[in-house]
Amino acid sequence: MSNKKPRMKGKDITPFLVFFLPMLFLCIFLFWPLLNTLLRAFMKMGSKFSLDNLSLQGFKRIFTMPIYLSSLKNSFIVGISVTVLSLLIGVPMGYCVARVRIPGKKMILSLGILPVIMPSFIGAFSWIILLGRQGTLRAALNWMLGPLGLQIPSIYGLGGIIFCMTMTYYPFVFLLAEGAFGAANALLEDSAMLMGASRAHIMRTITLPLILPSLGAASLLVFIRAIGNFGIPAILGGETYVLPTLIYFRINGFWDLNGAASIAVVNVIITGTVLYLQKRLVSKRQYEVVSSARSQIRQHENKGARIFASIFCFIVLVTSLLPQITIVIMSFFTKWTGLFPEGFTLNNYLRIPKNSGHEFFNSMFLSLVATFLTAILGSLVAYITERRKPKGAAVLDMAIMAPFVLPGTVVSVALISAFHNNGIIALGGTYTIIIISYMIRRTPYVYRSVVASLTQLNPSLEEASTIAGAHWIYTFRRVSVPLILPGIISGSILTFSTLLQELSTTILLYGAKTRTVPIQIYSAVNEGLLGQASALSVILLLIVFIITYISNHSGKASLSAGLKMG
Amino acid sequence: MSLNLSYQGVNKIFNDKTKAAVHALRDVSFTVNPGELFCLLGPSGCGKTTLLRSTAGLETITSGKIMYGDTDITTIPPFRRNIGMVFQSFALYPHMNIFENVAYGLRVRKVPEAEVKRKVTEVMELVGLQDELKRNPSPMGLSGGQQQRVAIARALVYDPDILLLDEPLANLDAKLRRYMRAEIRRIQKRTNITTLFVTHDQEEAMAIGDRLAVLKLGVVEQIGTSDELYNKPENAFVSNFIGKMNFFSGQIEGSCDSARINGRPIIVSVDHEKNRSDGMPGTKVLIGARPEQMEVSSLASSNSIEGKVGIIQHLGQFIRYEVTVPCNVSEKTMEIDMPQLVPGIKEGDEVFISIKSGKGFFFPQEVSVNEQ
Repeated sequence: MSNKKPRMKGKDITPFLVFFLPMLFLCIFLFWPLLNTLLRAFMKMGSKFSLDNLSLQGFKRIFTMPIYLSSLKNSFIVGISVTVLSLLIGVPMGYCVARVRIPGKKMILSLGILPVIMPSFIGAFSWIILLGRQGTLRAALNWMLGPLGLQIPSIYGLGGIIFCMTMTYYPFVFLLAEGAFGAANALLEDSAMLMGASRAHIMRTITLPLILPSLGAASLLVFIRAIGNFGIPAILGGETYVLPTLIYFRINGFWDLNGAASIAVVNVIITGTVLYLQKRLVSKRQYEVVSSARSQIRQHENKGARIFASIFCFIVLVTSLLPQITIVIMSFFTKWTGLFPEGFTLNNYLRIPKNSGHEFFNSMFLSLVATFLTAILGSLVAYITERRKPKGAAVLDMAIMAPFVLPGTVVSVALISAFHNNGIIALGGTYTIIIISYMIRRTPYVYRSVVASLTQLNPSLEEASTIAGAHWIYTFRRVSVPLILPGIISGSILTFSTLLQELSTTILLYGAKTRTVPIQIYSAVNEGLLGQASALSVILLLIVFIITYISNHSGKASLSAGLKMG
Repeated sequence: MSLNLSYQGVNKIFNDKTKAAVHALRDVSFTVNPGELFCLLGPSGCGKTTLLRSTAGLETITSGKIMYGDTDITTIPPFRRNIGMVFQSFALYPHMNIFENVAYGLRVRKVPEAEVKRKVTEVMELVGLQDELKRNPSPMGLSGGQQQRVAIARALVYDPDILLLDEPLANLDAKLRRYMRAEIRRIQKRTNITTLFVTHDQEEAMAIGDRLAVLKLGVVEQIGTSDELYNKPENAFVSNFIGKMNFFSGQIEGSCDSARINGRPIIVSVDHEKNRSDGMPGTKVLIGARPEQMEVSSLASSNSIEGKVGIIQHLGQFIRYEVTVPCNVSEKTMEIDMPQLVPGIKEGDEVFISIKSGKGFFFPQEVSVNEQ
């Protein structure tokens, strides 16, 4: 212009250069492995990865061989039962907390989230202590029920898996239902009441239809988690397999990659179908239920309702928190097979520095590095899809979110399938492969969180910087990043605290050098060393709890908000 | 010293695969003089914001040229254009204090610290925020008017060649809006930067602009001073967008400066050269009259039309009568402004309305009349 000569004409190519690396990463470590797995699912058992060996043998086995068939059936039973039970527990509890005047609502809400924060396999082995063959609670209950001729079965098997998963996942429904019941526009219900509708009628015609989308999202989240969960069926399953444990069994026992890939594909098809159905059924019924002028929601004051609600919430909460209490107690004892634990000792803790120092280092190191890289990757990709809106942004969005709904074992299978015998990256128990798998699995957390921040960020803030003469990179550094930082941080905290407890992906990828704390807990449980496993779990839980507490009390980052994003 | 800014045959077509292509600007050509405060005025969707954003380089035009002086700036990326822009939302940075907000463009240009201080102080004095600068708060704690001033200061601090204002007053309340538009004109005249001001508010545009361009569906309908647009509108759309215009259907009769209202023995004449019709006798025309060019009376006269009073509004300096007339004469309710209440006329009364002699406009019939 007048005082400055234009230095360059035409399009600015720096953004494309900066974005090239993340895209390359996604292509190599996400798109290619997924494609590879899909192809491998069609290879003959034990054959090399080659298009000459195409066959439907893998799928045929799934639908003919008893162990495959029963795993498939079990996965369905577990997924559906856990979803239904979680709704049956979570919705009434959400209603009680939001709409009935009961004491300690804040406490119920903050304790209610604990089962989700706790690694599910830790819950599983605590239930063994309580309801296993020699479980203390089971012994007590059987002693009471004995005269009636009743017996509580042991926790092992399908029933135990369903029970344990329900206690782990009902908070998703509870928290979303509570939020929906609490945030519903009270004016809508008030006006229905003024028009003469009864409370039950309002519930049926106004309240429930309005929170249906929330419940749909919660059920979907529970179903996907339930059929993808590895830790609980691995510990409680015994001879009962579900798809994720079957994948582990095929690889760990037989190194049958092609077979594992077929199972993985079936697993993904189930997840995909459910996702699709949910989209079809629920997204047509999205309403704006949150009003800006929030009038107070009517609360039940009736004494009977209040007592019933209090007792109900108390029982559910205590049951779901029993595992936490149990492992804390167990960590100070050597044995707990009767009514009371025996052999008080501090050894479980004192041994940790010597026996588990390396595992703690690994867990911290892997999680920290992976979180750092995930934060960069997730933020950049979120920025590309949200601000640059390239062609195929919707496809990119789906591809990045895919690992969020994929079971951890499937991600491992994909990585092994793509890289187990070529020279691109070494697989044999390296840190690299675990970090990459963590990044792939957790990028959605940061991605979603940053996309949410970006959509709230008025583009004119960035345009103002451009017009003031700032180059794209300067704008990104000085304007975009500082303003989306809360989103990056909350996504990263969620990433870090969940990576510390990661089991299902790590278990197929770790080596002697890269054992993590969850792996050590898992093996200790398998060896029956419940005291040691408990002590390790307590330390792990403490770390996760402290991180969550700090992030919840230091501003915008909220774990519960992060969990809802699913 | 600013140079002139000119548009030569500018077209902008938005091609969105999911929707039909939108032709947002059609052959836009005009020149903004150096130091001029030029308003782009039009209803929403008329292309005024697209033209502004194209000037900034935030949109790429499909064809045509944008020139600053002798330089073709069409393909220069926005961050090299040396333009200042004030956004409707102000777009102030919540993570910086007001000093850093204003200094932003200088920091980008790597101006030495002492110079940054001097220029920020200077421009904050210009916009009247020298006291706030001493406290230097976050912009989020300021009132709307103060945020607006910070936004203007931020756009001016690096001496831009062109200043762009995108509905800058839309987020302010009515009283502040009127005050700030005078302020903006004062600041613009002090700095003498060629300025484009986008608004959909005709009163605001007329009050602030040296010249105005009225846009409709991507086409420039008329360019001129407020006075020209109000008194010599070139078509029915402009006449009813700049101020209010009442329309009657009619045809040219005798000479080209008089017309007969449909089915009535009433002759309307115009005295402006510009307001005449160039049609032959018998050509159908729209006859326009502004509210203050008409009269309401309880008595019939030779050139009056009967109607019925709807609502009477007291608007301070004048009284507005809304009168419905038979539909073969006009499809719309007339608005007629009288200097004071006409004795004996109440809401619901039958009255007689007329166009003052020599006042009125003729427009081609086929132009559809868009309400604002």
